[in-house]
Amino acid sequence: MAEETQKKPSTIDFAKEITSRLGGETITLCYQCGTCAASCPVAKITEKYNPREVIRLALLGLRDEVLSGNAIWLCSSCYNCQERCPQKVEIADVIYALRNIAIREGNIPNIYSEFAAGLTSEGRIVPISKFLEKKRAEYGLPPLKPAGVEAVRKILSATGFDKIQFKKGETQ
Amino acid sequence: MEEAKIGVFLSDCGKQLTEILNFEEIAGYLKKVPQVSLVDVGSEFWRGQGLKTIVDAVKNRKINRVVVAESIPKLGEINIVEALEKAGLNPNFVEVIDIKDHCAWPHRDSPKEATEKAKAMLLAATERVKLAEPIEKLEFPAVKSVLIIGGGLAGMQAAEDLADMGFEVYLVEKEPFLGGLAAKAGRFFPTDDCAICIQSPASDIKTITHTSRKCVYRSGFSEIPNLNVLTNSRILKVEGAPGNYKVTVERKPRYVNEEKCVACDLCASVCPVEVPDDYNARLKNRKAIYINMPLVYPPVYVIDAEACKFEECAKCVKVCPTKAIELNQKSKKVMLNVGSIIVATGFREYDPSVIKEYHYGEYPDVITQLELARMIDGFGPTKGMIIRPSDKKPAKRIVFIQCVGSRDRRWNPYCSSICCMISLKHATLIKSAYPDADITICYIDIRTTGREHEYYYERAREMGIKFVKGRPTEILHDPEADLLIVDVEDELLRRFLELEADLVVLSPAMVPLEDAKQLAEMLGLELDEDGFFKEYNAKLRPTETKKRGILICGGATFPKDAPTTSLQAHSAAVKAAKFLLNGKIVKDQKTAYVNEDYCGDCEFCPVTCPYGAITLTEKADGHIVAHVDDLLCEGCGVCVGTCPVGAIELRHLKPSQISAQMKALLSFNGASKPLILAFCCSECGHAAVDSSGMAMLKYPANIRIMRVPCMGILQVQQILEAFKAGAQGVMVVGCKPDGCHYEVGSQKAQKKVELAKILLKEYGIEPERLEMFNMVYIEGDKFAEAARTMTERIEKLGSLQLA
Amino acid sequence: MTSYALFLGCTIPARQPHYELAARKSLTKLGIELVDLENMTCCAPPPLQSIDLETSLAIAAYNICLAEEADLNIVTLCTGCFESLAMANALLKEKKELRERVNKILLNVGKEFKGNKEVRHYLQVLINDIGLNDLKKNVTKPLSKLKVAAFSGCHLLRPSALLRFDDPERPKIFDNLVEAIGAESIWYKNKLKCCGGLLRGYADDVALAIARDKIVNASRAGADCISTLCPFCFLTLDLGQMLIKTTYKEEYNIPVIHYAELLSISMGVNPKELALDFHKVKLDSVLSKIG
Repeated sequence: MAEETQKKPSTIDFAKEITSRLGGETITLCYQCGTCAASCPVAKITEKYNPREVIRLALLGLRDEVLSGNAIWLCSSCYNCQERCPQKVEIADVIYALRNIAIREGNIPNIYSEFAAGLTSEGRIVPISKFLEKKRAEYGLPPLKPAGVEAVRKILSATGFDKIQFKKGETQ
Repeated sequence: MEEAKIGVFLSDCGKQLTEILNFEEIAGYLKKVPQVSLVDVGSEFWRGQGLKTIVDAVKNRKINRVVVAESIPKLGEINIVEALEKAGLNPNFVEVIDIKDHCAWPHRDSPKEATEKAKAMLLAATERVKLAEPIEKLEFPAVKSVLIIGGGLAGMQAAEDLADMGFEVYLVEKEPFLGGLAAKAGRFFPTDDCAICIQSPASDIKTITHTSRKCVYRSGFSEIPNLNVLTNSRILKVEGAPGNYKVTVERKPRYVNEEKCVACDLCASVCPVEVPDDYNARLKNRKAIYINMPLVYPPVYVIDAEACKFEECAKCVKVCPTKAIELNQKSKKVMLNVGSIIVATGFREYDPSVIKEYHYGEYPDVITQLELARMIDGFGPTKGMIIRPSDKKPAKRIVFIQCVGSRDRRWNPYCSSICCMISLKHATLIKSAYPDADITICYIDIRTTGREHEYYYERAREMGIKFVKGRPTEILHDPEADLLIVDVEDELLRRFLELEADLVVLSPAMVPLEDAKQLAEMLGLELDEDGFFKEYNAKLRPTETKKRGILICGGATFPKDAPTTSLQAHSAAVKAAKFLLNGKIVKDQKTAYVNEDYCGDCEFCPVTCPYGAITLTEKADGHIVAHVDDLLCEGCGVCVGTCPVGAIELRHLKPSQISAQMKALLSFNGASKPLILAFCCSECGHAAVDSSGMAMLKYPANIRIMRVPCMGILQVQQILEAFKAGAQGVMVVGCKPDGCHYEVGSQKAQKKVELAKILLKEYGIEPERLEMFNMVYIEGDKFAEAARTMTERIEKLGSLQLA
Repeated sequence: MTSYALFLGCTIPARQPHYELAARKSLTKLGIELVDLENMTCCAPPPLQSIDLETSLAIAAYNICLAEEADLNIVTLCTGCFESLAMANALLKEKKELRERVNKILLNVGKEFKGNKEVRHYLQVLINDIGLNDLKKNVTKPLSKLKVAAFSGCHLLRPSALLRFDDPERPKIFDNLVEAIGAESIWYKNKLKCCGGLLRGYADDVALAIARDKIVNASRAGADCISTLCPFCFLTLDLGQMLIKTTYKEEYNIPVIHYAELLSISMGVNPKELALDFHKVKLDSVLSKIG
């Protein structure tokens, strides 16, 4: 704890970095009213996550703490905060923007590497198994049409997604 | 009109300027200028002996036009013009310029060039008065009576001021009783005075011996002779002009004769009809014939026409001891002739039902501040007991929620300014009466900025009222325990709380009335982005609007507390009185006029006039022309700059005068640097030039200043003309776009400059030779900087060769 | 006959074919033609949006383009797909700069987002294309006496500014549809609250705690079953009850049933044809109640 209180908040650059990203445009409107925290199903269950605190850390410029911490991965994307926010801060989208930055800097929870792998190899984040294909046929469901993998790969290349360093062994 | 005989008077400021300017040379030159009959040099001319010299010259008919070069022209001008007017000279024949701040001081390092520039400036001034035509003095009727719309705190205070000053006052209130929000609110912070007490304007003015406060029922308010109170009335139509409005008012029937009713309540006691009492938050019922609370003004009962059974019942008629009830009353229209109108319509609470997470309107125990105020009021529906509306049991645990629908970008983004104090007031009043009450206030910020407000907050804490920093996300209802749960994060504790409450009080936003827009349209007033009536300028012209003669005060412009409302009410009253004091409005005809032969009915000017002074009229031959209302016109010239065919002109600054002045200013090229003409608006631009001189800043003498009322008057061709007349560069200097004293002039000028630049390019002239500069009056340094920058730029571009 | 491009997403066809089965059967019976387009991909739901929003928008737009080319509106079953596609549709229709940005990316795959088609959820097709009255006419086996804890999940309603499906604070559509098939849509605490499903795989303990709350609330309110629209909700609450048994040592035995399945049953489809063995919490109690 003592170590943390000695950390100096960095400049306002982090706020600017967030507002210039897709999803993060509205973060500076926040006036810390706490409505989001009280609306959050995750915050009510665990102390490890509080959307108001995440925004506060970000606006104070504590970049490392935000991006390398666990908190930003605990949002369940329910959007209740965004609905209720009196300043129309797009909180859930801000969390996405923070995750986007974190991933590009190498902070990637394993499960996301798995999703990326599925997307790149099959065009679907949940690939279908042979067992399921058989079951489908048994119940009279038409076989699943193959996904447009080529198109997905071209898009991933165009956006730079394919340059992201996912965990070894989990990507193509 | 006889030929112009110009007298030129040069002030050397007590020999201060003679070291820089060669007055002999200047005087010698002027004497040779055609139509200059008299040239005099002295120490000062704006007062004393100097002024007498000018006045005598006019009286002796030696001169009939006057040019004065003085040291503080903007102040001196007023003195000079007034004195000469008395001597019989038309004010438009006088021109006062400043060769000290605009010439001697800034160019003191180059006296020869300064002298040349002074000659140019004086030549331009003579051109202006030579071409001037006399301006008439117009008189408009000003009826010495005032209409006040809204009978709340503000309206009543303004009404009493004006009535006591001898004006005929019509106080029109749409409800059956006066008092507005103040009466409902019960008490005012920070003194917790009874609101009705403060409503009453103070003392018994006639004797001025009473200094104690009296509430409206005992203050003699009702006895002020020229104060006419029209309750149950609304404005239907407003016609006419400032100083002489004709207002149609509809008086809804009260069904009770105001002269006869003695407010004995017998009628209500026999009335068989009961309806929920909306005024008292539906906490009790009332009869079809009623008053809102025991003390009302006028103390006359009123019948709710929708609830009453009229002739079918008529029990009240039979029982009334003074036969005051008149069921056959009809709605009446009244025509009022007033000189000025004061809008004092106040504000209302926002309806929080749209904020569904708070369940207002669904859970009966979620109420608003005004509804709570009715409970706290000892005269109210619960006689001062704080209860749960659902089961009428006493409410012990009370939670207040601040900022409901305010500071909320989904509903009303602004802060309503008084709600924090209102919560503190209610909380402390309840806690004083019921020390066992468990009160919590949930807030985002506590705003207690006024006098004594911080002490009030301190007192609330001392009384044990709790504060939670956090905005609740939701109000839940526990059906088993039958109580409300407020779901909130206590940010300071970093813990989630579920506050149990018998009663939840919401502080809703304070918003404009629903019919504010309609009233604004009727009066031609602007509303701001939040829907409140817009003050012309809160610092320079508080309580005024763009329409002369119409004033606004109180909550109608923005939610505010009682002391501020009071202040504004008195301000509006004083301004209305000033406006109408002489029984007539006198105005110099420094306005625009339309040459109907040229007017092509393009309809641009009515739209651009910031004061709505231009209307379109149809002539006998079907031709539609623009017409300028002299009373409303402010003489800015924005219309002149807008008209594509030059059909509209300012009487006090014609295009011929602008042209002549331009040429004169550019005629003396004794400057070592290229000549630059600077059009300066008389508000900020010209004043900034004054500032630069007074601050003794320096810039070269090639800068020649051409004063215009507003930059909006400029036409593209005039800018181009400047180049033809010899300017190597042109500056357009004036107010900032959002600070133009005539609203739109600066923005319009910006457009002209952009257009002109395009045209210059077409003609092979570098568009950088033209530039617009925005500044405010005190930014003299900015002007000097602009002058230097422009000069350097033109020097780099080299000499302009016009084909 | 109304036609829609059926957008299946990833999870339903790969893990919950019972949802797809019930949906196909019910919609076909109601006269809706479902077209399976080629090349559809993942919709780019929150897990992908977490990695990169721009990529997700582009992928979502790509799928919408496929429907635009086929001149068909899209119907989704999974509410996550609905949120992703409908949000992308609304954003790209309304924000010019964003649309240009995404279309630049789509050039690489020869597509252009035009914004001339709609993305609808299965429930919207029932309400708008068929209507409550006609739906009721098709109910041959009303599920009377069945107390249903209707749980639409988050992404059908929120973010309401873009999805515009129903009133986010007082939604009625799902409840009306449950009542239309004869069941009772009951009140239960925190009905609109998230199930925590998206936290599975990262913070399973937190996800389970949140899911447990929902199960407890439904149980306390006397629900016979919980009806879902989202495969993540289904998984969290259905499989979740197995995990609750082992972790919390509590048994609730509240079947979790997709609305499409309830609808199919009420329209007379034999439960045996509905692949009900994919449910972890067995449906015996529900089936016996409806008879």
